[in-house]
Amino acid sequence: MNDLSFSARRLSPAAKAALGVFARYATILGLLAMIASFSLLSPDAFPTVNNFVNVLNQTSLAMIIAGGLTLAVIVGELDLSIGYAASLHGVLVTGLIVQTKLPVPIAIVVVVLLGALIGVVNGLIVTKLRVNSVIATLGVGTIVVGLTFAYSAGVPIAAGVPDEFLDLALARWLFGIPNPIIVMALVLGGLWALVEHTSLGQEIQAVGGNPAASRLAGIDVDRIKIIGFVISGMCAALTGILLASRLGSGTTSAADSYLLTAFAAVFLGSATLRDGEFHVIGTFVGALIIAFGFNGLNIFGAPTFSQYVFQGAILIVAVGLSSLGRMLAET
Amino acid sequence: MHAPSKDMRTAAPSPLLAASALRKSFGGAQALKEASLSILPGEIHGLVGANGAGKSTFIRILAGLVQPDAGEIQLEGKPFAAASAHQASEAGLSFIHQELAFVPDMTVIENIMLGLPKRTRFGFVDWAATAREALPIARRVGVTAPLDAKVKSLSTAENWLISIGRALVRKSRLIVMDEPTAALSVAESERLFAIIRSLSAEGVAVLYVSHRLDEVLELCRRATVFRDGRSVAELTGSALDKPALVEAIVGREIVKTGEAGRAAKLGPVVLSVRGLSREPKVKDVSFDLHEGEVLGLGGLVGAGRSETARLIFGADRPDGGAMTLADQSFRPRNCSDAVKAGLGFVPEDRRAEGLILTKSIAFNVGLTNLHSLVFSPWLPLVSRTRRNALSQATIRDLAIKAPDVDIPVGKLSGGNQQKVLIGRWLRSKPRVLILDEPTRGVDVGARSEIHRLLRELAQGGMAVLVISSEPEELPDLCDRVLVMAEGHIVGDLSGADLTRGAIVAASYGAREERAQA
Repeated sequence: MNDLSFSARRLSPAAKAALGVFARYATILGLLAMIASFSLLSPDAFPTVNNFVNVLNQTSLAMIIAGGLTLAVIVGELDLSIGYAASLHGVLVTGLIVQTKLPVPIAIVVVVLLGALIGVVNGLIVTKLRVNSVIATLGVGTIVVGLTFAYSAGVPIAAGVPDEFLDLALARWLFGIPNPIIVMALVLGGLWALVEHTSLGQEIQAVGGNPAASRLAGIDVDRIKIIGFVISGMCAALTGILLASRLGSGTTSAADSYLLTAFAAVFLGSATLRDGEFHVIGTFVGALIIAFGFNGLNIFGAPTFSQYVFQGAILIVAVGLSSLGRMLAET
Repeated sequence: MHAPSKDMRTAAPSPLLAASALRKSFGGAQALKEASLSILPGEIHGLVGANGAGKSTFIRILAGLVQPDAGEIQLEGKPFAAASAHQASEAGLSFIHQELAFVPDMTVIENIMLGLPKRTRFGFVDWAATAREALPIARRVGVTAPLDAKVKSLSTAENWLISIGRALVRKSRLIVMDEPTAALSVAESERLFAIIRSLSAEGVAVLYVSHRLDEVLELCRRATVFRDGRSVAELTGSALDKPALVEAIVGREIVKTGEAGRAAKLGPVVLSVRGLSREPKVKDVSFDLHEGEVLGLGGLVGAGRSETARLIFGADRPDGGAMTLADQSFRPRNCSDAVKAGLGFVPEDRRAEGLILTKSIAFNVGLTNLHSLVFSPWLPLVSRTRRNALSQATIRDLAIKAPDVDIPVGKLSGGNQQKVLIGRWLRSKPRVLILDEPTRGVDVGARSEIHRLLRELAQGGMAVLVISSEPEELPDLCDRVLVMAEGHIVGDLSGADLTRGAIVAASYGAREERAQA
């Protein structure tokens, strides 16, 4: 019933139905059109198995963190701490391995648990102190940046990183598929099953749909929101760890830019197949669009500035499509 | 039953608005099949019909919110098709909906003058001039609150008056009111009727849409009845009486509930409430609720009944008092505790607090039954097959009108939404089911179905607590009725004492006593 929706209401039913179909499939059509045109423009470099595997490998880290963010936005909150947290996790995991000499698996478990803890803190601030999640996670994220500098003094931890840790992101343990793709497939597959097919997932979707009604249906809304933040935090940890492994160093601010990519993927995803509803498969498609876009820009040697323009533009297009979908769903 | 599509017998004054043979379908569902209606200038015209009969769709077409597939609307003899809400408003049509659309943080004056404030030479809002225009209108419709009060602090009744004020500012020729008295007390309704009559006398036509047939009979000289997307009757003068309306609405016999379940003997006490308080709305409330009992909670709007229900359900925390559930101390910290302990709750505002409107029937019904839909506690995957079977059973048992279980509940009519909301508790079988205004805005047929359902649940051993602001609803439905006034329980009526008159007397009596004290 807001003024925004009047523009859609003026359309004829047929036009609205067509627009609805377009809004749902626009992202997938866009992805296919992008792949098709890049293939035509650069038939030698672009449409090769190697390039596709490479794109997927590159974007797996973004997909994992975006998958986690999807859970936070489904429960109706925003998590702005994930990029900074992923940077901390990368620095911390290398530090724990190189300086504290923890075995690699234990270092990873510790860092993932820290990711969960950051999620709990975010969740408690939002649910118990009733702080808006944008402010809460921005505050926590900024504190996390401070912790990162406190731990590493801003100096990258690169020397003496064992191969065992580097293999995590660089090796191909299964059927010659790069490890990050495997991890990404497991994480997104798990999140998809969690959201779409478990009872917890039903509660998560309900809380996002209508928190007041969920509460009166007997759902512990605060608990569900905290779970959303915890999953977001744990996925940020996985991305931070894989990035450190790929770079071979723990570098402050290395993962900060994943925040923007993750948001663009999540919002593009909400306009995919469903009317402005966040969901895991949508996020996957959204991340693919961004990845192929960047890949195309790279192949054609586009200057650096254009990549920023592309990322900013795609975020705006994503949110626009998402709200168009919601608008059409309401009428 | 003939379709009165071109009913031109009344040759007298030409209609202000005449809609003929409107059709509209959404997806596969045909919401309007052949709906016609004409309104004379300055007339109070009733529009009645069961939920899902097409009233809402008809109103939305007039308001320019949806476009008809076929049919014609004439406004003062000229073809009229509102392509947007703005155009409908420009043409002099105003709409006041069940769920009022307000900006809660804005003041009375801002809401009345929304969109048309006076401006100074510099383009700033001229609040003095705006107030000069708004004040007489506010007083005329009976808004007594100061103009700078925020609307969220006002009662539903005052919000209705403000909506009418907003329509007057826009010099409306036709005001469509959808269930105006649903949230109003008797006294507030009377004031509203007086205002409607004076509007009519000044030449403003009112389309009065309501399930409360007595009100329609009291206010209107003509009424149109919709059934299943068609206008099936236009009743005027002596032909306009209650039996005729009911027959046209239902098109079948209404099953009388009431006496059937009354013989059931009460079981042991399930829920015992002692001295429950939460200032300022709930004061020292004590009662026992028995197994197999339908207990009514009557009284005026604002008497503290919903607040009491929220305390019992753990939605709010009490300041004092104690409760026991099946002889165990019962102190819910939140609604989730209450549900686990065996309570179910159907809230008053089904759209805002009950349903997840964008989700399917299956999703909404499944939400309170998740533990029975998963394969096992160790593998909490929700079985789609079981969820669909549960939802289909609910649709069948409650005669919910829906093409399939995957349709978003937001697309159902009010009565069907209410049935979904009640239906979600049927399978999980709570020991105590609390319903806040379960038949508000629900048509005659659905209402009697809901009543029968509640009696059946009670016969099955459930304890049912029903809040209703309609005194005539409770005697028929309940074994016993508690009447609340200003936070206290002031009456406990059962047996021969349980009458509509006794409930009304108790709700008002206490109020006067307290005023004197």
